[in-house]
Amino acid sequence: MPAALRRLNREAFAEFQAPALHLLGKSRDMATFWEKKSRSTEEMAAAGRDLARINAALEIKLNAMDDVRRENIRLREITRYAVPAEYMSVVARVATRDSSSWWQRIVIRKGRNDGIRPGAPVVFGNNVVGRVTAVHLTTSEVDLVTSPGFRCTAYLEGDDQNRIALVNGVAANSLGTAKARVSVIPHDYTPPAGQSARVFTTGMGGVFPSRLLLGYLDGGTYSTQVGNFKESLLVPSRDLYNLQEVSVLVPLHQNPGEALMQGDQFQ
Amino acid sequence: MTMGWAWLFLVLATYPWLLGADLASDVFASSSLTIFVSGACLIAPSRRLRRWQAVLFAAFLGFLFEARRPVPDGSVALALVAAVIFLSSNRQLLRNTPGMLRAAVIVNVLACLCWYLGAAFAAPVAANVPSGQLILQLLVAALVGVIILLPVALTQNAAMDRLGVPPTPETP
Repeated sequence: MPAALRRLNREAFAEFQAPALHLLGKSRDMATFWEKKSRSTEEMAAAGRDLARINAALEIKLNAMDDVRRENIRLREITRYAVPAEYMSVVARVATRDSSSWWQRIVIRKGRNDGIRPGAPVVFGNNVVGRVTAVHLTTSEVDLVTSPGFRCTAYLEGDDQNRIALVNGVAANSLGTAKARVSVIPHDYTPPAGQSARVFTTGMGGVFPSRLLLGYLDGGTYSTQVGNFKESLLVPSRDLYNLQEVSVLVPLHQNPGEALMQGDQFQ
Repeated sequence: MTMGWAWLFLVLATYPWLLGADLASDVFASSSLTIFVSGACLIAPSRRLRRWQAVLFAAFLGFLFEARRPVPDGSVALALVAAVIFLSSNRQLLRNTPGMLRAAVIVNVLACLCWYLGAAFAAPVAANVPSGQLILQLLVAALVGVIILLPVALTQNAAMDRLGVPPTPETP
């Protein structure tokens, strides 16, 4: 049979069957419609209720999945920092946060039993959170970067000569955001244009490893009353009151900073 | 035996409230506010416990607060002990609910003032606006004292009833 005839034949039969197929589909739809229409209102309401329950359960499951995803991201972030060889990293959950005008601290759920020692730096990823000030058997207290008792030296981004500035916490205003102060900034230092200058640890003093991010300079710098140096405020690199896990970098060998901390747990 | 240790059992009964206050402080941590309830927790025990028991109770509460805060040792505990000695010597002031509420506010605010001054004394730097923060903290302490007194007193009274502590005399 020639090909054209074969195609015509196929088309003709298809078109012949088409109305029947339409009818079949439409009658099935109609049957479904009448089947649903014949159901009582109570039945429909019950079905709606069941559906709502299933939806709610799925929503809870979705939220749980979302939580797991966020936790996964957080844990990946915390382990991203390559811990220097002279430190041992101990990951700890935050138990409570406590702050007033005079202190900003968190309590973590790891203590002496886990090898944590006073003076150990506390980080999240490569962001500095604070320093361990008191260690108990199963908990430790951490002074945050913004706490008045916190002090460390720092390098400023954009300062090619790597001159040392000083970071220390300031007493917070109630209902205000806690910040730290960066002082001893050289007069000729100019922050990079168009972005907040980052502030890094120097690694001097033996407490914090070098090049950890302390935070960002808040706005510009201003001259002090004496006029020899400039100062600025430091915004911590993380929201310190929303942390759920932190890493404590416990030095494998006792360092000078740790020795200074002994017997000086509450400043 | 039980009566002798009543103050300790009462501390255990009060501890959930202290823990709750710590959790509330946790929530308000970004605002640098501490929810202070230790003073309000003294009122019901001051009415019923013997003085030495009430003193031990107050000291225990004070040291519990100080244990986790960088305040000079004993500042809060001594303030609470002084308050409880005064209250147990003047039980007629706590005869009715308004009197207890008034006492809760005053004691909580005064004890809060003590820890604030103690913390200021021990702090390495000066506060930015110390008077403003102090007033805010004292207002919070007063408000918390009013809100928390009745539920805490109910818990403590229930515990003291179970421990067999004699009720408050009608005419102290």
